[in-house]
Amino acid sequence: MNAAEALAAGLALIHREARLLDTQAWDEWLALYADDCVYWVPAWDGEHRLTDNPDTEISLIYYEGRAGLEDRIWRIRSGKSVASTPMPRTVHVVGGVELLDAKTLTLELCASWTTHVYRVKRKEHQVHCGRYEYTLKRPDADSEWKIGRKKVTLVNDTVPTMVDIYCL
Amino acid sequence: MSAGHHLDTRSVDSLVDDRVAEGYFSVHRDVFRDPEIFELEMKHIFEGTWVFVGMECQVPGPHDFFTTWIGRQPVVVSRAKDGTLHCFVNSCRHRGATVCHLERGNTKFHVCQYHGWAYDSAGRNISIKDDAKAGYTEAFGREDHGLAAVPRFGSYRGFLFASLNPEVLPLEEHLGDARKFIDLVADQGPDGVELLPGRHSYTFNANWKLQIENCIDAYHLTSTHPSYIDIVNRRKKGESANKMDSVDFDLYKNDQAVRGSFCFEHGYNVLWGANPAFRARPLFQALDELNARVGELRARWMLSMRNLTLFPNAQFAENASLQLRILRPISVDKTEMTTWCVAPKGESAAARRLRIRQYEDFFNASGLATPDDSMTFEDCQTGYQSRLVGWQQGYMRGLGLLEQGGNKYSEEMGVSPTTSVCGPFDVQDETIFHSIYREWLRLLGAAR
Repeated sequence: MNAAEALAAGLALIHREARLLDTQAWDEWLALYADDCVYWVPAWDGEHRLTDNPDTEISLIYYEGRAGLEDRIWRIRSGKSVASTPMPRTVHVVGGVELLDAKTLTLELCASWTTHVYRVKRKEHQVHCGRYEYTLKRPDADSEWKIGRKKVTLVNDTVPTMVDIYCL
Repeated sequence: MSAGHHLDTRSVDSLVDDRVAEGYFSVHRDVFRDPEIFELEMKHIFEGTWVFVGMECQVPGPHDFFTTWIGRQPVVVSRAKDGTLHCFVNSCRHRGATVCHLERGNTKFHVCQYHGWAYDSAGRNISIKDDAKAGYTEAFGREDHGLAAVPRFGSYRGFLFASLNPEVLPLEEHLGDARKFIDLVADQGPDGVELLPGRHSYTFNANWKLQIENCIDAYHLTSTHPSYIDIVNRRKKGESANKMDSVDFDLYKNDQAVRGSFCFEHGYNVLWGANPAFRARPLFQALDELNARVGELRARWMLSMRNLTLFPNAQFAENASLQLRILRPISVDKTEMTTWCVAPKGESAAARRLRIRQYEDFFNASGLATPDDSMTFEDCQTGYQSRLVGWQQGYMRGLGLLEQGGNKYSEEMGVSPTTSVCGPFDVQDETIFHSIYREWLRLLGAAR
């Protein structure tokens, strides 16, 4: 696998994730993540610093394991969350995808993102933006890549009303 | 003040129908939707009484500061070189620019970047740029050039309050017996409590009082948060692979677990209830230390569910983890929240981690419960656009059980509430809101 192939593999997965979130294809989205994935949205600690230790500082979302993401999908599907019903419509725009490191079984990438959220009930348009850091991994060279770690920096962190995994 | 058409024709008294003796209490929807009422609230409540501004632990050392708001007014809380705490308006005396641009930090001098006037960490002016040959008059020299001190500023056990109105009661007298419930937060660690790094801010498009009501509203839990309750049940049953030790609200629906509310003077109140799942509380891990230090009774109260209102702008929510919420009204239909996770200093690493995970699970605009609250506030604000309906029907649960004064639970806590209610889960008392609107009316009385 050369760098171009590694970048292409990373781009394909990142773009696929954006589409699966925007089309609310939740099972396929969850399947992108490894069972033992880390999904992390740190909080800001003042104007210039993100929290960096999830065990001693607050994150907006921090999961060790896909089960946390599965809980969120269950809630969205339950119809019992007024914040998720009716579901907002979203468009993710991901750009500036950069390959930082490529090994046979792991890829490190980063990207910038914007998510347009159209809150159907209030007929309001919101925009969230930030950066992604991805670690993709596979158990062997013949297996497909999974997300082993995703860190989402939310730049505009004074959140209008709510933010969930499909807004990020 | 400039009274508008509403207040020319009727006073604010007509917006709260307080006839508890006749078994009736209601609040008119104009208190949530009328911009003129909002202006009166800013002047007479947020800028007219003691408001919560923060915690001493946010400014531990000399020259530490943080910025916040009192009503519409930007202020700085700063610790001076000598260790004294000061609260001053964040606005240069020269032409008004804010002199402090960060939410917190450490600096010996606050220098206005418009014309260079400089202030020390006590707010005193120490430099007027190029003043020697400026042609200033004696009249100018007689002015106090320091940043305007907020007239009243005080600390109760590290909890900081300020008032733009000098005509308020001494702080401790104002807080009254609500102090005993502040103590239940302050005493959770042998060295006190701290705010964990990672504050969060969010807004909702609704009136600020919806948040105040919601935090002490036992009735909404099962109807606003069923998705959260179900997720916890799924974890318990192993239907979710998430192994976190969650706060089990389903256990609250237990008629053996007494719940209640106490109202105090000045809009302070506490919603409380035995927490059948107290072993899942991070604080439980320190139970032996707590029992030895504060006694079994107070330790039990600390492990109970308690949501405390420090009217008008702060609440401590102690149901999942422990959250401090400070609200800032932006307009009649927009509110900004800033929240912190509160923790005992020196807590074990395991308890701290559990506290943080429980906090993130439930709270904040990114949690599994708070967004459902905030969205509901917006639904209320939309509903208030109906002028056909004036009076709310949301202030009378528990009215038939209301006791003037205290009960055996207030006696064991050593407090004397103005009113109290207690009973099984299904009571889900609403008389707790009365204390808010009585204080609201008392303060807005200045507008009459």
